[in-house]
Amino acid sequence: MNKSDFILILILSTVIFIFYLFLNDKKSYAYVYYENNLIKKIDLKKDDIYKVNGYNGEVIIEVKDNKLRVKKENSSLHLCSKQGFVNNIPIVCLPNKIVIDFNNNEYDVVV
Amino acid sequence: MDVKKISKISMLLSISVVLSLIESIIPIVGIIPGIKLGLANIVVLYILYTMTLKDALYVSILRVILVGILRTGLFNITFLFSLSGALFSLIFMFLFKKITKLSIVGISIIGSIFHSIGQIIVAIILLSNINIIYYLPVLLFSSIITGIVIGLCTNNLIKLKNN
Repeated sequence: MNKSDFILILILSTVIFIFYLFLNDKKSYAYVYYENNLIKKIDLKKDDIYKVNGYNGEVIIEVKDNKLRVKKENSSLHLCSKQGFVNNIPIVCLPNKIVIDFNNNEYDVVV
Repeated sequence: MDVKKISKISMLLSISVVLSLIESIIPIVGIIPGIKLGLANIVVLYILYTMTLKDALYVSILRVILVGILRTGLFNITFLFSLSGALFSLIFMFLFKKITKLSIVGISIIGSIFHSIGQIIVAIILLSNINIIYYLPVLLFSSIITGIVIGLCTNNLIKLKNN
């Protein structure tokens, strides 16, 4: 290993760390989609409980301390409610055809 | 190509295939899916430093195809991930080796970093979901560490060969 290797490691670590912080910045709104259509915009600053209609019935969403979780929903594996409180990673609930995203983008866009 | 070179390349190819297979047995601590050591990169790096880019390309592509046949199957999504990762990492390792003064460890880090980036780009395109990008920082951090390990291994290998 020579000097340029250490510089490379240093630069890469910094860039990745900034990138990580950039991806994890606090979001202020969450967007709820049902079958790719926006059905609700949730303000994350207010602690509240919201109800939306999914494919298998009601989906209850809880907002607390700038974070959000699916409190109750009707599905076989309960994956989205097991995910717990999140702030940046989207929650996808396939059985209910519900997607909760923190960026306002349409889902079927090819990047 | 003379017979000696063909047999050398095929020997190296078989080593890299075996290393890929061994790697799939080793569980990595941390239990983050998708993270692996990249042992096969030792062979590719070795070829890049002792032979030509063309030979490294042969071994890299043939390895992906052979491991595909042996483990995951051809032309499915896993195969495409491996192929894109292997090509991306090889091309950028070659470029950085030409342009910069990095030692073998640095080149190895570049290789593993671009392996991850290549895979993520293909994953975003194939699954048409930008949110996979949240996975990238974790993957890149581990890439630096595995890159250092693989680089040191290759460094020792080349030293042994020269003695």
